[in-house]
Amino acid sequence: MQTNWPFQSVLIANRGEIAARIVRTVQRLGLQAVVVHHAVDADTPAVRLADTAIEITGATPVAAYLDGTQILEAARRAGSGAIHPGYGFLSENPSFARQCRQAGLVFVGPSAEAIELMGDKVRARAFVAQGGFPVAPSAIEDDDPDSFVERAAAVGFPLLIKPAAGGGGKGMRIVREAAALRTELDRARSEGQRYFGDGRLYVERFIENPRHIEVQVFGDEYGTVVHLFERECSVQRRFQKIVEESPSPALSPQVRDDICATAAGIARRAGYCNAGTVEFIYGNGEFYFLEMNTRLQVEHPVTEETLGIDLVEHQLRVAAGEKLAFSQETLRPRGHAFEFRIYAEDPSRGYLPTTGPVLALREPRAAGIRIDSGIAAGQEITAAFDPMLAKLIVSAATRGEAIALARSALDDYALLGCKTNTGFLRRLLSHPAFLAGEIHTGFLDAHPEVAAQPPLSDETLHRLLAAAALATRPVRDAADAVPALHADMGDWRN
Amino acid sequence: MLHAFLLDGEAHELWLGRSREGYCLHAGGRRIPVELLERGGHAHELIIDGDRYHVLIARRGDEVHVHLNGESHLLRYVDNLKRFAGDPMDEGDAVTRAPMPGSIIAVSVEVGQRVRRGDALMVIESMKMETTINAACDGAVQCLHVDVGQLIDKDALLITLDRSASE
Repeated sequence: MQTNWPFQSVLIANRGEIAARIVRTVQRLGLQAVVVHHAVDADTPAVRLADTAIEITGATPVAAYLDGTQILEAARRAGSGAIHPGYGFLSENPSFARQCRQAGLVFVGPSAEAIELMGDKVRARAFVAQGGFPVAPSAIEDDDPDSFVERAAAVGFPLLIKPAAGGGGKGMRIVREAAALRTELDRARSEGQRYFGDGRLYVERFIENPRHIEVQVFGDEYGTVVHLFERECSVQRRFQKIVEESPSPALSPQVRDDICATAAGIARRAGYCNAGTVEFIYGNGEFYFLEMNTRLQVEHPVTEETLGIDLVEHQLRVAAGEKLAFSQETLRPRGHAFEFRIYAEDPSRGYLPTTGPVLALREPRAAGIRIDSGIAAGQEITAAFDPMLAKLIVSAATRGEAIALARSALDDYALLGCKTNTGFLRRLLSHPAFLAGEIHTGFLDAHPEVAAQPPLSDETLHRLLAAAALATRPVRDAADAVPALHADMGDWRN
Repeated sequence: MLHAFLLDGEAHELWLGRSREGYCLHAGGRRIPVELLERGGHAHELIIDGDRYHVLIARRGDEVHVHLNGESHLLRYVDNLKRFAGDPMDEGDAVTRAPMPGSIIAVSVEVGQRVRRGDALMVIESMKMETTINAACDGAVQCLHVDVGQLIDKDALLITLDRSASE
């Protein structure tokens, strides 16, 4: 593929693992990689890898990455012709996409109109339903705010409250009984107002223990839209994904064809260009449209591994005006891939985020193992950002082999200085229901033993105390201070 | 000399002895021959009762971080002086600390204001969820250590109450 790139330099408006991951592809394609970074991220892999790193400032570190004006100025200064937004931050902000294009920059993503349509969850839902695609029973506040509470109750319990402007699980609440409805609506409104500056809500029938299945889609500006098969992301805590895999162990070939064709159909109806993901809930043999994410997804590597393609490369090619390099017929997934998100959090304490320095970091390396990491030794993990530190991606011929590979990779992954969820992931990998593929979005609530920290055996305790004692100067000094003569006589205590 | 390490909130006493054969760990009523060999960087080989384990060890102040059999553990060396001087962290109910890292999204009291046990003091946001911090005792707000919008670490000082001011 010979490309006459309309841009020679790509600015990555993101941080952490995704910024580093995009830098690698940009450089592999022979382009310059520019990253913007807040001072707290100066030691991160993305900044170290990039050809140019431009510092940005903000009232908080997060605010810096949300400051589109400053980022556009950085692109001008660095001579970048394109901006890749990654996920989160400005990736689904239609005004930013517009500003990029107005500034003569290529925004590596869909049109501002597509972002706008899918970003408004209520409009997106209506758009999908109008196309004849399946959506869950719901009530939308905007249709008639005065009767919203009554209409919400009529959807039936349990129901799920969602912010109209939301995404990523923020501000969502399950209501199981009519008595709690008003209070929960008020709470959700306040959260929606704060996160999205928009307190409008809608409610949807909550399907008990559903699976979360999503389909990667890709379109180009010549009207071609294909799907890149599904990912199952049912293992979640508080609507945040922890493990993703492809293919889904739940789908029959028939349902797979159906759900993938539906996703491609929705994207096609939206005139979608570049990479996107259509999310569905799946239960009792039926699936409903959940939302469409108009950006690269955190869990995109699962698709990359089963299809053997680099999604970021194709995002850049399509953004550069090329035709899609693959057709539906040429896409043939092989084997099984998993992604495990490594979070700075303590699952045994309600998944509370943890902080601390990265004193030592050891990552597993072997065939079939990929680590997309946003941290390096010497860095400080703070509460300033999302707690996701890195992603472990494994791929093998079968689901069972991939799980075995993940187990050995997690045994080898070591981060000292900040507690992570790797112990939890190891317990998950031995859970019979997980091994059987019997997962759903309520899996972790139904199996609290996965999150609980098992008590240490006496043997493990002694090993830890021995290592700690021998590595602690005062303890060792006290032992060494026993005069040689006494030591000769036996095991002396000073 | 007796030493102690805190692990998962529990103190474990031990002492390390030395004989011609090497070190011996005395803990939990057992005496176990132990040796620790450096293997470059943070890597070590722990020999305990003749068995060998590859461990990673990193230290910071009194903290000893140990990675063993796929799991990382934090042990904290408790200085003997501090051990016997009482717990300096024991501030009682009058001092409220952050139960988790996050940011302050609302403060509902002012300095001087009287509060009763259970009253809401402030709201913290962490992991995209709100948590209300309540007063653990009756008293008056003596000091507000944080402002709205501020990022806080776990155990950060939030509010000090003056218990003598309770009616």
